[in-house]
Amino acid sequence: MPDRKMFWRVVRRLLAANRGRLFVILLALSAGAAITAALLNLQIDAERRLTTEFRAFGPNVVLVPKDSSSTASGTLPESAARSVPIHLPSGEVRVSSALYLIADVSVHSSGKATSAVVGGLNPLAFVTISPGSPNRTEANHSTENVCVLGVRVARQLNAQQDAELVLSVSSRRESCRAASFKETGGPEDDRIEISLRAAQRLADLPSRISTIELRVPGTPDAIQSYVADLQRRIPEADVRPIRQFTQGEATIYSRISGILSATVGLVLVLTGLCVMAAMTNVAMERRNDVGLMKAIGGATRRVLRLFLAEAAILGLTGGVLGAAIGILLSMWLGKAVFGVAAQPRLIVYPVAVALTIVVAIASAYPLRRLANIRPASVFRGEA
Amino acid sequence: MFLRLVADSFSRRPRHKLLTGAALALGMAVATAALSVSLDVGDRLAHEFRSLGANLLVTPQADSLPLEIGGVDYRPVNAGAYLPESDLGKLKTIFWRNNIVGFAPVLEVSAQLGRESPSTDLSDRTDVTVIGTWSQHELRVPDGSTYVTGIERTNPWWTVRGRWFLKGKAECVVGASLARRLNLNTADVINVGVFDPTKMVQVVRPLSVVGVLSTGGAEDQAVVTSLSEAQELARRPGEYRKLYVSALTKPEDDFGRRDPNTLAPADYERWYCTPYISSIALQMKQVLPGADVRVIRRVADGEGAILTRVRILLWLVTFASLLAAALAVGASSAASVIERRTEIGLMKALGAGSGAVGFLLAAEQLLLALVGGGLGYSLGILLARVVGQKIFGAAPAFSFLVLAVIVGLAAIVTLIGSAIPLRRASRYEPAPILRGE
Repeated sequence: MPDRKMFWRVVRRLLAANRGRLFVILLALSAGAAITAALLNLQIDAERRLTTEFRAFGPNVVLVPKDSSSTASGTLPESAARSVPIHLPSGEVRVSSALYLIADVSVHSSGKATSAVVGGLNPLAFVTISPGSPNRTEANHSTENVCVLGVRVARQLNAQQDAELVLSVSSRRESCRAASFKETGGPEDDRIEISLRAAQRLADLPSRISTIELRVPGTPDAIQSYVADLQRRIPEADVRPIRQFTQGEATIYSRISGILSATVGLVLVLTGLCVMAAMTNVAMERRNDVGLMKAIGGATRRVLRLFLAEAAILGLTGGVLGAAIGILLSMWLGKAVFGVAAQPRLIVYPVAVALTIVVAIASAYPLRRLANIRPASVFRGEA
Repeated sequence: MFLRLVADSFSRRPRHKLLTGAALALGMAVATAALSVSLDVGDRLAHEFRSLGANLLVTPQADSLPLEIGGVDYRPVNAGAYLPESDLGKLKTIFWRNNIVGFAPVLEVSAQLGRESPSTDLSDRTDVTVIGTWSQHELRVPDGSTYVTGIERTNPWWTVRGRWFLKGKAECVVGASLARRLNLNTADVINVGVFDPTKMVQVVRPLSVVGVLSTGGAEDQAVVTSLSEAQELARRPGEYRKLYVSALTKPEDDFGRRDPNTLAPADYERWYCTPYISSIALQMKQVLPGADVRVIRRVADGEGAILTRVRILLWLVTFASLLAAALAVGASSAASVIERRTEIGLMKALGAGSGAVGFLLAAEQLLLALVGGGLGYSLGILLARVVGQKIFGAAPAFSFLVLAVIVGLAAIVTLIGSAIPLRRASRYEPAPILRGE
C-alpha cells in the first residue's frame, strides 16, 4: 500500500524536521513520565514499607492458651509455634515463644535476692533499647547460660554486667550470666529473660510454653485475615490481635496513605497539565504545515491523523525512556527515605507509559481547531 | 505609554493571557495545597498517633518488683509502694501541660467476685482482678480550672458496650470474657470482696454492672471500676499504683537523646523547652515526688521512627510538586514570549532598544505571575482545606510561609521561564521577522 508508506514517510519527516523541537518535546514528555513513574512506584512501595515500619511497635498478635482464666496457669505445647505460617506476601512473620514463671533470683557474688518474673524466650534476643543508645543491636545467642536483665530488676539486685545469677523454683536451680540489660518502659523492665530450655527445666514443664508472640507485617486487613486463618489452624490457642497496635495502626495507616495518595494525585494531574501545555504550544506552531497540506489537497481527517500519529510516537518514546528513569529514581528515593531501595513494580511501567501516550495525544487535540483553517488565510499570514 | 502598552497587550489577546494565567494559577494551586498539607501533617499525625495510647508510665520509685504475668500481678496487696492521687492535678501545671492529651491512674486489686445479691459470704466466688481507674473524671487543677480525663483517653482501643461507670457511684464495667464466662449482663449486681487472712478483715462492695468492656487483652478477664471503689477494696484511700500518660511529643533526634545532665545551660534550656518525650518525663517527675516516670519505648520509638519517615516522604512529594509547578509555569511563559516574535520585531523596527522590549515583557509576565499566583494561592488553600478535611477532619492552619513561598516562586519561575526566550528575542533582527521568515 503506497498510501500507508507515504503516511509513515510524512510522519518520519515531521519528526526529523526540527531536531531542537523534537528534543524539547521528548524532554517534556519523558520528564513527565519520570515523575509519574517515580511517584507511583514510591507510593506503592511506601505503603508496604510503612506496614513494615509499624513492626517497630513490636509484636501485634499473641497466642495464649484457650482456657486461661485470670490465673495464667494454662500452657501450650511448644509445637504450636511451628504450625504458624511464616511466609506472607507482605513479608516474613517473626515468631517468638515464651514461658513465664515466678522464680527467686539471687546474685551469686553479693547474695542479694528477690523474686521476679522469669521469661524463657525462644529466640532469646539481645535488644538494647535505652535513651542513650538509639541503635538496637539484635543477635540470637544459642548459648544456654546467658540472660537479659530488665533495668529495674538489675537495680533491685544491684547486678553488674556479667554478674552470675542463680534462679530457683523450689528445689530446681539454674544459673546464668547477665549478658545485657533492657529498658523498654514496659513489663520487660521487671523481668529476667533466659533461654526457653532453661525456663522449661526451671518450671518443670518440658516443651510447654505460655505465649507465642508474632510480628505480622501487612496492611490492617491482611493482619485481620491472618488472625482468622491462624485461629482455624491452631484451635487449642486463643489468637488475639494486640488491639492497641492493630487498631491504632489501622487509623494511622489510613491517614498516611490517604495523605500520600492525595498529594501524589495532585502532582500527577499537575505533571499531565504541564506536559500538555508544552505540547500544545508546539502543536500550534504547526499551523503553516496544516495550511500547506490542505492547500495541496490533504483531507482534514488524514492531516489530523498524521499529527496524532506523530504525537503517539513521541508519547511512546518519551514514556518508555522517562518511566525507566523514574523507576530508577524512585528506587534511589526509597533508599533515601526508608533506607531500603524501593522495589520496582512492573505494573507501574506500562501505566506510566500509557498515561504519557494519552497525555501526548490529548495535547495534540487543539490541532482539531486547525481543521477548519482556510489555507489561504494562513498563507496571507492572518491568524 | 509603558502602562498603555501593557494594558493594550492584555486587552488585545485576552485568550492567550488567560491561558498562561490559568496554567500559572493551576500550578501554584497544586504547589500551595501540597505545601500547606505537608507543613501541617506532622502535628496532625502526632495527634493520630495518640490512638496508640499512653507513651509514659508512672510508677512509685520505691516499688517492689511487680510479679506480673498475663496482666495479673501476683504480689500481695500490702507489698510495694503507692502514689498519692492528690498530686495528679499538678500534671497540668508543667511547661508542656498542653501536650498532655490524657492520663489515668490505675490501682489493681486481686479480689473475689460473687454473683448473689447483697450477702457477704461470697460462697460462689471467682478470683478476679479489679482495676480501679478514671473515666470522664473531672480533675481540679491547682490553677483553679478543671480538666476532664480518663482511661478512654489513654487506652482508646478499649470499647464499652453499654456505658462507662460514673464517678462516686457503685458501678463497674466487666471484661467481655469474664461476662461470657459468668453470664453477666448490664443491670446485674455483683459483689466484689477482698479477704485478708492475716487481719481477718473482709471488705465487700456491691457493684452494679453498667457495661461490658472489650480490650483484646488481659482486661477482658477483669472488673473495671472507679478508682475510689478500688481504693476502698484495697484499703488504700487516695492512692494509686500506676499512671498512664498520653502526651504529644516531638520525635527524638540526636539532640533529644543526649543526657540532659551533660548539657550546657543554654542547650539544657532548649532541651527542656522542646517537647521531647524525655523532657516531658523529667517535667512530670519534678511535680510528682516519689514517682518514677518511664518512657514506654515500644510506643514512643515506633512513633518517632514512622513520623520521621512520613515527613521526609511528604517533603519529597511536595518538592516534586513544586518542581512540576515550576516547569509548567516556566514552559507556558516561555511559550507566550515566543508567540510574540512579530510584535517584538515591530517594536524594534520602530526604534525600541532591547532593554526596553525586555523590560516591557518582564513587567507583563510579572503582572501575570502576581494575578495568577494570587488566584492559584486561594485555589490551593481551598484544595488543602478539602484534602485536610477529608483525611484528618480538620483544615490545615493558615501559614504565612506558604503565601510568601508561593508568590516568590511564581515571580521567580515566570521570570526565569521568560528570560531565556526574552534574551533571544532581544537579539532578533527586526527585518527577517517582519518579512515572516
